[in-house]
Amino acid sequence: MPVSHIRSALPGLVLSLAAGATLVALTPHDAVAQVREVVSKQVSVGRASASLSLEFADGGRLEVTFEDGAVLVDGESIGSYQPGADLDAAWRSLLGQAVALDDGPLAQALRDWSAPEGLTGSPAEVAGRLDRALEDGVRAAQASGSQTAATGSGDAGSLVRFLLGSGERLRRIEEALAGIAPGARVHGFEDVVIGPDEVVGTDLVLVQSSTRIEGAVEGDVAAIGGTLELLEGSSIGGSLRLADATLLRNEGSIGERLVEVEADARELEAELRAELSDEIRRELRRELRNEMRSESGGFSLFAPFRPVIRGVGGVLENLVAIFVLALIGAAVIAFGGEKVDVIAEAARRAPGRAAVVGMAATVLLIPVWLLGFIALLVSIIGIPVAIAWLPLFPLAACVAAIVGYLAVARNTGEWLADSDYPWTQWIRKSNPLVTTVGGLVGLMLLFVAANVVSMAPFLGVVTGLFMAAGIVVTVLAVEIGLGAVILTRAGRRREHWSAYTADEAWEAAMKVEVDVDDTRGETDV
Amino acid sequence: MFDGGWRVGVTVLAAVGMLHAPIAAQSMRTVTTSRQITSRDEVRVSVAYGAGRFTVRSLDDGLLYRMNLTYDEDIYEPVAEFSGNRLVLGVDSRRGGVRLRGHREGELALELGRGVPMRLDLDFGAVQADIDLGGLQLTALELTTGASESTIDVSSPNRARIGTARFEVGAAEFTARRLGNLNADRIEVDAGVGSITLGLDGSWQRDARVSIDMGLGALELRVPRGLGLQIRKDSFLTSLDSEGLVKRGDTYESLDWAEAQRKVTVDLDAAFGSVKVVWVR
Repeated sequence: MPVSHIRSALPGLVLSLAAGATLVALTPHDAVAQVREVVSKQVSVGRASASLSLEFADGGRLEVTFEDGAVLVDGESIGSYQPGADLDAAWRSLLGQAVALDDGPLAQALRDWSAPEGLTGSPAEVAGRLDRALEDGVRAAQASGSQTAATGSGDAGSLVRFLLGSGERLRRIEEALAGIAPGARVHGFEDVVIGPDEVVGTDLVLVQSSTRIEGAVEGDVAAIGGTLELLEGSSIGGSLRLADATLLRNEGSIGERLVEVEADARELEAELRAELSDEIRRELRRELRNEMRSESGGFSLFAPFRPVIRGVGGVLENLVAIFVLALIGAAVIAFGGEKVDVIAEAARRAPGRAAVVGMAATVLLIPVWLLGFIALLVSIIGIPVAIAWLPLFPLAACVAAIVGYLAVARNTGEWLADSDYPWTQWIRKSNPLVTTVGGLVGLMLLFVAANVVSMAPFLGVVTGLFMAAGIVVTVLAVEIGLGAVILTRAGRRREHWSAYTADEAWEAAMKVEVDVDDTRGETDV
Repeated sequence: MFDGGWRVGVTVLAAVGMLHAPIAAQSMRTVTTSRQITSRDEVRVSVAYGAGRFTVRSLDDGLLYRMNLTYDEDIYEPVAEFSGNRLVLGVDSRRGGVRLRGHREGELALELGRGVPMRLDLDFGAVQADIDLGGLQLTALELTTGASESTIDVSSPNRARIGTARFEVGAAEFTARRLGNLNADRIEVDAGVGSITLGLDGSWQRDARVSIDMGLGALELRVPRGLGLQIRKDSFLTSLDSEGLVKRGDTYESLDWAEAQRKVTVDLDAAFGSVKVVWVR
């Protein structure tokens, strides 16, 4: 039988199994069994709405909602209600019971619900429709399959759960049922005995059953779960297919072949596992070979140039860092204006004090951040501020450190401009951006030097020294800058007002001595 | 530090919060949801809850779970999704904004079925949590909490085995009792700021390792007499009240460490705070 046919036949067979099992299970004294199995429920009650949502074992759903004056069943309106009136109260009362009930008793309570007495007119009609909707919703589907053969089962729910329990199981069932013709004799969840004189003229399907065959089955036998015994003298005319089933004894004859569906699956899994472990082994060997090659400095055309490539890469990294910081510096100068001047001035005039303040701030940053957060959490009004505090405080600290570092870079640039060092003539003090860039180059010069030296062989120690010095300079610059930012309250408070008078400023700028005689109005130079 | 600019900033933030606060009265909603056990396969359970009271218990009447949830329907919506072998429960934020006035606390009472093996992932924020994991079949446990007051109890032994149970605690008062009943090979506690009490009582099935990484706070280890305890301490500014312990090299050991039937090794990595060992019967 083609696979597509099997797939299309499967739901029918499953339905037959379930329905057949259900029919056997139904008896007048067991009314609970007449309702669908509820696997999930949700009762939701609020001021403006009250709803019940059910999910059944067969995959079906039922949702009844009283919301804003409308009664909805599965999203379709069946009428209206007056909030707070009898119908609304009766519905909420039913939901109150439903909270404590599950599965059968819940479905039973819903089925037994009836419209409250005393309702008239439109509310009575809506209540009637709701009553019918609930009854229809929870009533179990009736068996209609004409193909259903003799079946027996003690627990219809178990059968349905077993069949629909997992995709893997359904797949195995599908395989086991390959070739089973419609009209097969089906047993589920029971002890089955085919007596010595008994002949089953059709195919035989056994679901989670304990079966003993002493007679003959003319067609195929499919056993899904459970156990099967073939006693001496028994016979199966067609194939025997086992899915998760155990063949306890095989002393009978099987006309065609014995197929173990699970075994097939296991073999496939074993093959897949073997393939996977081979692949992992190959991958590991490849990685190991590469690792050993790189560690042993194996032959490579580029090997002699590696230090040079690394060094050039490092220098390029430094230049990119200077470029990025210069861009930030331009933005800071453009938007910070005089505040940057104030920070730079504080860093220049009292670098020691600024460094100490910066270091203290660095140590206290995390405790202040955490304690501030906790302190804000204490009050309800502080909670939104606390939420903002978590990301904004570290961000503010980073911005302060960067701005401070740039201010120190500017001071360094000015110092370089005043110096007589070669290659510093391009730094013009009149342009703060150029001064800052000059200072950045100066501050990062040690890193650049470390990268340049690293290109030469046997100078690893010198490279390390340059690198360590560069780190010390950078840390110092950051701490001084951060301290200056804090001391000047982000440039809003002058830490040191200029001690110069206008004349002293002129003198300092021109590097001349000025003697002013106001009375004569003359200046001696 | 709080000069005019800061005050303005704080006021603006507070005002923004007030604007988001709904003017209408708080509308509480109650949802009860449950699901039958339909398969004995392992289920991965994830529970997320932001603020309110949070309780977890086990139940034994054929249900996978039962959840009773009371929440503000203007702000939150319930989550109860079961797909494949994954169960997601809790509340989700409906929209932004913080209610500042007339706030009534929500509540989530969760019962989990004993009949199914579970990988449990609990994630809650500013809540008052009372969790009893006793009797469940836990194969994995991860608990993450923010600024909360949490009590975790394992009142009866776990019916499955856990490789590593993880507790991530933010700024909280966190108490765990009868951790021996967790049946875990390894327990990891990562605590930020707060007060942590770990009860190492319960029924230990085998020797185990407890790893504690603590930032700032007080840690109390409640250890039953007869349980072998070894503490390996790697700390910065942390005091250890080592009563009942003897120092051997870099470790502290209980007096009966060598002959104890069950042994627990505690790897302690703490920055600031105090560690106290309390022996209990």
